[in-house]
Amino acid sequence: MMLDGTEDEEKFLAAGIAGLQQNSFYMHRALDSNNLRDALKYSAQMLSELRTSKLSPHKYYELYMRAFDQLRKLEMFFEEETRRGCSIIDLYELVQHAGNILPRLYLLCTVGSVYIKSKEAPAKDVLKDLVEMCRGIQNPVRGLFLRSYLSQVSKDKLPDIGSEYEGDADTVSDAVEFVLQNFTEMNKLWVRMQHQGPSREKEKREKERSELRDLVGKNLHVLSQIEGVDLDMYKDVVLPRVLEQVVNCKDELAQFYLMDCIIQVFPDEYHLQTLDVLLGAYPQLQPSVDIKTVLSQLMERLSNYAASSAEVLPEFLQVEAFSKLSNAIGKPDMATAGVVTLYSSLLTFTLHVHPDRLDYADQVLGACVKNLSGKGKIEDKKATKQIVALLSAPLEKYNDIMTALKLSNYPHVMEFLDIPTNKVMATVIIQSIMKNATRISTSDKVEALFELIKGLIKDSDATPNDELDEDDFKEEQNSVARLIQMLYNEDPEEMFKIIETVRKHILTGGPKRLPFTVPPLMFSSLKLVRQLQGQGQEENPFGDDSATSPKKIFQLLNQTIETLSGVLAPELALQLCLQCAEAANDCELEPVAYEFFTQAYILYEEEISDSRAQVTAIHLIIGTLQRMHVFGVENRDTLTHKATGYSAKLLKKPDQCRAVYACSHLFWVDDHDNMKDGERVLLCLKRALRIANAAQQMANAARGSTGSVMLFIEILNKYLYFFEKGNPQVTVAAIQGLIELIMNEMQSDTATPDPSADAFLATTMRYIQFQKQKGGTVGEKYEPIKV
Amino acid sequence: MASRRRMLLKVIILGDSGVGKTSLMNQYVNRKFSNQYKATIGADFLTKEVQYEDRLFTLQIWDTAGQERFQSLGVAFYRGADCCVLVYDVNVMKSFENLNHWREEFLIQASPSDPENFPFVVLGNKVDVDGGNSRVVSEKKAKAWCASKGNIPYFETSAKEGFNVEAAFECITKNALKNEPEEELYMPETIDVGGGGRQQRSTGCEC
Repeated sequence: MMLDGTEDEEKFLAAGIAGLQQNSFYMHRALDSNNLRDALKYSAQMLSELRTSKLSPHKYYELYMRAFDQLRKLEMFFEEETRRGCSIIDLYELVQHAGNILPRLYLLCTVGSVYIKSKEAPAKDVLKDLVEMCRGIQNPVRGLFLRSYLSQVSKDKLPDIGSEYEGDADTVSDAVEFVLQNFTEMNKLWVRMQHQGPSREKEKREKERSELRDLVGKNLHVLSQIEGVDLDMYKDVVLPRVLEQVVNCKDELAQFYLMDCIIQVFPDEYHLQTLDVLLGAYPQLQPSVDIKTVLSQLMERLSNYAASSAEVLPEFLQVEAFSKLSNAIGKPDMATAGVVTLYSSLLTFTLHVHPDRLDYADQVLGACVKNLSGKGKIEDKKATKQIVALLSAPLEKYNDIMTALKLSNYPHVMEFLDIPTNKVMATVIIQSIMKNATRISTSDKVEALFELIKGLIKDSDATPNDELDEDDFKEEQNSVARLIQMLYNEDPEEMFKIIETVRKHILTGGPKRLPFTVPPLMFSSLKLVRQLQGQGQEENPFGDDSATSPKKIFQLLNQTIETLSGVLAPELALQLCLQCAEAANDCELEPVAYEFFTQAYILYEEEISDSRAQVTAIHLIIGTLQRMHVFGVENRDTLTHKATGYSAKLLKKPDQCRAVYACSHLFWVDDHDNMKDGERVLLCLKRALRIANAAQQMANAARGSTGSVMLFIEILNKYLYFFEKGNPQVTVAAIQGLIELIMNEMQSDTATPDPSADAFLATTMRYIQFQKQKGGTVGEKYEPIKV
Repeated sequence: MASRRRMLLKVIILGDSGVGKTSLMNQYVNRKFSNQYKATIGADFLTKEVQYEDRLFTLQIWDTAGQERFQSLGVAFYRGADCCVLVYDVNVMKSFENLNHWREEFLIQASPSDPENFPFVVLGNKVDVDGGNSRVVSEKKAKAWCASKGNIPYFETSAKEGFNVEAAFECITKNALKNEPEEELYMPETIDVGGGGRQQRSTGCEC
């Protein structure tokens, strides 16, 4: 059915165009031969095509535009006629002989335009006549187009201030009167349209009405362009008259559209000065009108205006725009998304107009909370999006979360967000902090901040671990980690409080979050430790236990790390223990460092069972232990003994070998003479050699060929190292023996070629050669070694 | 005699909301400018008599709504345009990026017979704002775009100060004149002397 409808419509339009073209062809011939009679006849016939009722507004507009173009030529002809001496008054009479009323009125308007231009009668009289005559057309579509034609041709001939058609007295009001009258009539036609025709076509009619809306709204645009419409006239005449029409027509479509038009076509200053009147109209509109959209458009416009220049702000203050707007919003009960959109607009407005009045912004949020209260978590996507916009507005305005934290209602609004959106908002907040490098420097603020972003900090009770994308989760937690690093105060007391606050919050995060959040907290704390140490660590003279000391921090860290081993992250816990031990070492806190080491060893023994993880852990342990200088002989012996023990017990021979020769360094610390035990170094190296041998034999047995000599070459390098360091136990003979061993291995028939071993050996040999040639003490030392 | 059609030149101004289409037209036709922003509804024209190479023409300048929601009846008025003026605000990147959209929209809707050579003119308006400090679209960039679209003439204007407006419209007039009018050659099949007598009368009201 619909398809047929449009096809038919195309046909009707084509027929209309054909008729119009035919008649305009003859009209042109008449114009060319200055035949007024024929010109009128054919133009009237041409205009008859506009009498159709079969076209939708869109198609009718097409036909109308074609007629419109032709009428411009006719108008020029009329002007020529008057120049040739034809009386315009006669012409005005003459066109009224056209048989049908619609063509007659189009012609009348066309001549009327020339009439006004000729100034043979006051513009206001001609206009009044025309606007009255147009009442003759009561069919909505035809009437609306005719009147918009009138509006179009008269637009540049209104008796406006400074216009050449300005008469003697009070002429602007004539112009305004004319446009208002035309507007009123058009609006009536437009509103009435919905009641015409069968009710089953209501939907189609509403669509058509919607298409026609600009013809009505255009009048408001014309009014706004009249220069003589100053604020007073707008306030006293234009706005009240327009609003009267809007309110009284009781039509949803018209009210919504025309309110929007009023807001858009008239200047901001006018709106500010008439806010009472404008806002007063809203409650009088039909209940079904989408007030929130219109209101937020008004607020958006006003905020843009406020943002345009600081000079306009006094205007806003003078009319108390904020309280007027917030009162206007308070009332309507509407869908949640609508409520939030409104408050979001109002907040944007407030932030622009009253950037210094945080209390206003808080009021807006408070009012929003009040309005939303009892609605629980909001899950409507549109509404949550609006809440995010609402909450982001202060961040964008001030570029500073600290300001937002001052808004007491801010967290309350956030409460309304569902969990995913709450996280989004929390991320927005963190990003704002990052971007602006905001300093958050007191524990109170940190407390407030973490309360705000708790969606990221812990699982909510409501949803037990919903399906979350792993990558998203990581990104989220990484941003929390970055945030933790940014919290800083140079006062150690306050910084310690911050750390305690953060700790309290992140410990609620559960096993998945802790591995992300504990490390940054730890490093923040260690930074504080170093700072205290840098201050000369005046050991509090009064023995005041409450003062922040490295000891206290370490205690806190110890407890924190324990939580990690509880959540199956023993490797991370071990790493952190070692970090702490080293820090304690730098603070000369032997018992603390020993405690951390013990904890690391327990973790190693009890929790780390994977052989690869063990290898990594043991090397970390050896490396850290080697750097420790705080331990007394006894403690050090205990720890070293354990470490070598672990090394020799690794699962694979090569791993054992490498860990054992690494242990040799534990007995030889460069800068500490009391930590140079050449004998035990050699013991380690010999033991490593034995293990390498065993590994070799095992490989031979398994594969029937010589295994890699890599381990031997590595051990050779260790020998060279200690030889050079002056360890008396490492002798030329031992080195020489080792070199020969390696050479034999490599030249044996069964040896599998190993290019990397070859290269390693070659480099090692080159190094010896190089040291020989260096001369001096080093050269002398190397001299006896034969290559 | 010179056809009336050639004495009337139709120009359409297009561009985003708030770039200053109405202001440019008002400055050119009435030499007036207002700082206040007033949205345009629908389409609307002003005329101006211009002299070009000793001949008089009437420029019919169509100002349009930049906001789509105020263009409810469509764009039938594009028909028969002789030149299309694309306006953007040199201080708003988006308005420049949208030029392409406006140009294509015009070519589709107006469907001129020779779209390749249809005359456009681009105006970069509001060069006066903040002494040019807030501009984000460089003259070079704008000219490059114009060059890529078949050497569209480009002007930097200020409707507020009247800068370059006259020159721009002179160019618009010149280019509109170059456009070959699309006369829909119409020949009546029969010479219908009586004129009336068409069978298809609309039913219903006799107005």
